[in-house]
Formats: sequence, structure tokens, C-alpha cells
Amino acid sequence: MASRAHLVQRTAIPGLGLSAGITLFMLLLVVILPIGALLAKGASFGAANVWEVVNRPRVWAALWLSFRLSFLAAAFNLVFGVILAWVLVRYRFPGKRIIDAAVDLPFALPTAVAGIALTALYAPNGMLGSLTNQIGWQIAYTQWGIWLALVFVGLPFVTRTVQPVIEEIETEVEEASATLGAGRLHTIRHVILPMLMPAALTGFALSLARAVGEYGSVIFIAGNIPLRTEIAPLLIVIQLEEYNYDAAAAIGIAMLVISFAMLLAINLIQIWSRRRIGHV
Amino acid sequence: MMILRTTALALILLAPAAHAESLLNVSYDPTRELYREFNEAFAAHWQAQGNPAPQIETSHGGSGAQARSVIDGLNAQVVTLALAGDIDRIAQDTGKLPEDWQTRLPHNSSPYTSTIVFLVRDGNPKGIADWGDLTADGVEVITPNPKTSGGARWNYLAAWAWAEMNGRDPQDFVGQLFANVPVLDTGARGSTTTFAQRGIGDVLLAWENEAYLALEELGEDSFDIVVPSLSILAEPPVALVDGNLANDEQRALAEAYLDYLYTPEGQALAFKHFYRAWDDSAADPEDVARFPELELVTIDDLGGWATLQPEHFGDGGIFDQIYTVR
Repeated sequence: MASRAHLVQRTAIPGLGLSAGITLFMLLLVVILPIGALLAKGASFGAANVWEVVNRPRVWAALWLSFRLSFLAAAFNLVFGVILAWVLVRYRFPGKRIIDAAVDLPFALPTAVAGIALTALYAPNGMLGSLTNQIGWQIAYTQWGIWLALVFVGLPFVTRTVQPVIEEIETEVEEASATLGAGRLHTIRHVILPMLMPAALTGFALSLARAVGEYGSVIFIAGNIPLRTEIAPLLIVIQLEEYNYDAAAAIGIAMLVISFAMLLAINLIQIWSRRRIGHV
Repeated sequence: MMILRTTALALILLAPAAHAESLLNVSYDPTRELYREFNEAFAAHWQAQGNPAPQIETSHGGSGAQARSVIDGLNAQVVTLALAGDIDRIAQDTGKLPEDWQTRLPHNSSPYTSTIVFLVRDGNPKGIADWGDLTADGVEVITPNPKTSGGARWNYLAAWAWAEMNGRDPQDFVGQLFANVPVLDTGARGSTTTFAQRGIGDVLLAWENEAYLALEELGEDSFDIVVPSLSILAEPPVALVDGNLANDEQRALAEAYLDYLYTPEGQALAFKHFYRAWDDSAADPEDVARFPELELVTIDDLGGWATLQPEHFGDGGIFDQIYTVR
């Protein structure tokens, strides 16, 4: 019965087969081919050579920096993005529409513009940087600066994925919980957060993925000192400057593998949390 | 069917418009102002000879990245890059110009030259006079990354040459210098911004023309130029990419374009944009008098790009060792 129902799907949109075909073809052209080409490049270079390029202290340092800061930025976005989404859905305040629209700006802004703006703001002589520098806290050209840029570009992913879910949570659910004697914290932990969890994790994964690959906005604020503030995408650009396409592909493949492993882990957590909580 | 139609439409939109009298000059970052004015002057000169108005476009970016675009198929008829090595690479990888391209025009195909000088803050508070002062404690040096910037390779090699001539261990000296660098930008313009607008560092290692441009645009009362006792003769070369020429008319235009760089008018523009040039007969004497005399070593004195490039800037080369071995 169930499998039968899957086969005879009825939908309002005609020509499902055709549109699915076009979609898959475009996906192949736009996503799978380039990644395949990257892997093919690595295969022709040889696994041992790929490993030789990746297994250098400077490359490890850059990969560790990129993934660690991306994770920390995505984690911050997970918390702050959910709070922001909650505020935007549940509260009314003047200028709410403007703030709601502003959330998308990091999407629209060319990354280089974002990088230059952030650097101007947080440089030791910038508006905010000069304040933090007075208490001996330098932001631009340190790892703090990189983290900040990654938070900036990743924030909308969490907010925009969680927002529609919050809109669907009726206030009655909270009221019911309260009527049954639950305190506020209990309601948040056992009623609201479980419902938000899957969407929030998706937003976290998107934010993380975006941060890992980010180049334009980070390069201006990073300082780019090897072993200290050098991100992995910059190392790829450096290899390209040397006309060293193979080594660039090797670092690219390393990033791809790590990203894939991280996204897989996040998906597994998502599946696990869905099973535990049930469908939302 | 729809895909086909869309694809056809996309091809039409993406196809380059065919103009017989067009020219693409692929250049590097700091020549932006020079070629903006040069293109206008050349167009006027070309029309004065009875030719129709040419369409000249110039693209700017990091020298290496620009060379890669040409290798990957960017249809440039003329390249004007920061390093001969970048044009060599185009010749090797595409065969679109002969390997001995640098002998085809006078002065190693470099119509203008430059050198590396120091830009310091007004009044030179740290008292920086020469390369030796750059490794002192508490001096912050701003330079782009030699791995991503052609200009930075000149900075690095100038420091190397100074150490060699002054009895210091060059690798040690350059290592100490880069230990004083708090920010490594990817290009020369980025470094100028970091130093001049973000207020980072005590001294900027810069192309002489970039230093003068910074003075002009950002205020003479904020910065001083310090000329070291010895520096390097930076020769940014130009070349015709024969393989990208569509026809004889375009070849004539491209050749005239490069030749015009060597005419008194072209040379005057180079002087005006703070490049050292060869022929000052039409130049404003003030533009020429600006350049102080200093000892300049050449790339050939140091061994030539063919050996310097892999030895210093290649994978695992001396520059990599500066950061990873210690």
C-alpha cells in the first residue's frame, strides 16, 4: 500500500518527470561536474602526492584554523540566530520590518565589501576597534577578526531556517505546557527547543559550510600570517599563484573531505534527534 | 527544447562582440591610473593618424591571477604585468607568444621601471633610514605576501640584495624582517590601504609609484617617502600575445599601442604617474626631478627570475621556510 502510494504521486504540477529531469541535469552541470573535476584532478595527481601537500604543518595549521573558527562562528550563530528569529516572530517593536529585511543583507553584500567594511570598523583606528584596543583587545588582523567575519556571513542561514518553524509554533502550546504545571525553563527545554532543533541544526550546517569556504570577506580582516591567521582558502589561492594547480586541488580535496564528514555528522545528529523527538 | 533554446540564447549573450578595432590590455594592480590616461592619449593619437576610434579595455588584478586568466583563455592581445616570469608562463603554457618575447621591445620590454621605497608616517617617528632599521624591535613593517603579489617579490628581493651587500646573512635578515610584519595582504593595493587607511605599521614597503600615489591621494602631511641606500630595479614588462590577435588590423593596433608606450608622449605619461621611464624629452621636468638617485641592483645581478622564482617563492622555497622552519 505504502509503496504503491509513492509510485502514483499526484501533484498539481504537471510534467513532474520532465522537471525532475531538468533539475537533475542542471544539478549535474552546476554541482557534480565541478566537484568531479576537482576529484579527477586529485586522482591524476595521486593520493600519495595529495597527502604530501596536505601533510605540511602550514596546511594543517590553516585547515585547523578554518574549520575551528567556522565551527565556533556557526555555534554562535546557532544561539544568536535562534534568538533573533524568536524576537522577530514573537515581538512587536518599531523598526521591526527594517531589522527583518537587514538580516538578509549579508547574503546580498559582495563578500569583499563586507570584509572591507568590517576591517574599517574593527581596525585599531576604526570606530569599534579603537575602543577595544584601549582595553588591549585587538580584533582586526587576529583570529577574533576572522571569527567575526564568519559570524557576519553565516548569521542569516540560521535565522532564516528557524523563523518559519517559530511562526508555526502556536502560543497555545506554551500555554498548555504552563497549564500542566511546567515552569518557563521546563517549557523551553522540553517543548520549544525540541521543535526548533531540526531546523536550527540545518541552519547551523549551512552557516558552517558557508564559513568554511569563505574567502572574500575574511581575507581583509585576517592578517594572513602563516601558522597564525592564514585560512585554508588563502593557501589554495597561493598555490594557484604558483601555477600549482595540483597542490591547489589537493588542499581543496582535503577541505571537501573534512566538510563532507562534518555535514554527515550533523545529518546523523539530526536523524537521531528526530527519532528521539518524533516528527515535528 | 526549452533547454536548447535557453542554451542558444545564453551562447548568444556570452559570445564576445566581434570588433576589428578592439584591444584588451591585461595588466596588474598599480597601473590603473597610468593606463586610464594612456588609453585616452593613445586613442587620440591613433585617430589622428586617420584610423577609426579603437575600443581599448584594460583589466587589473594581481599579476599572477591576471596571467592565469590569459592562460585559461582570456582573450588579451596585450599583457602588461608586474613580472617577466608571469609572461614567461603564458608563453610556456599557451605558446601564444614566443619564449624570447622579452627581446622584441627595447629595455627588456619594460617601457617604464620602478623601484621599492619606504613610506613612513609623517616625521618618520621611528627614524627609519635603511633596510637595516626594519628588523629593529618594535618596528612594524607592512608588505604584501610575496606568494600572492608580484610587487612583494620585488620588496623581498630588494631586502635580500641589501643584506647580501651589507654582510648580513640574507635569509636570516629577511626572516627577521617578515617576523616584524603584522599583516600580509594579498596585493600591493591592499597593503597600501592597510598602512595608510587602517593606520597599521610604521613603514610600508611599496612600489615607488604606489608610494607617490599614496602621498598624492592621502595627503602629503601624513606620510614621508624614505629612499633606502640600495634597492632593486623593478622592470614590469609588456608583451604582445600573438596567438590572441584576430587579424592584421588588430595586430597593427596592438603593435602601435605598445610602441606608443616608448614614444616621448607615452614616456611622459609614465613619468607623470610616478614611474621611472627612459625618455624624458617630452616629460614635465618636475615629474623627472622627483626621483632621487640610488643604487639599483637588477634581477640579473641576483641570478634571474628563472632561478630566483623556484628557489625563493616556490613550494618549500626560502620564503616558505621563513615561516615554517623555526
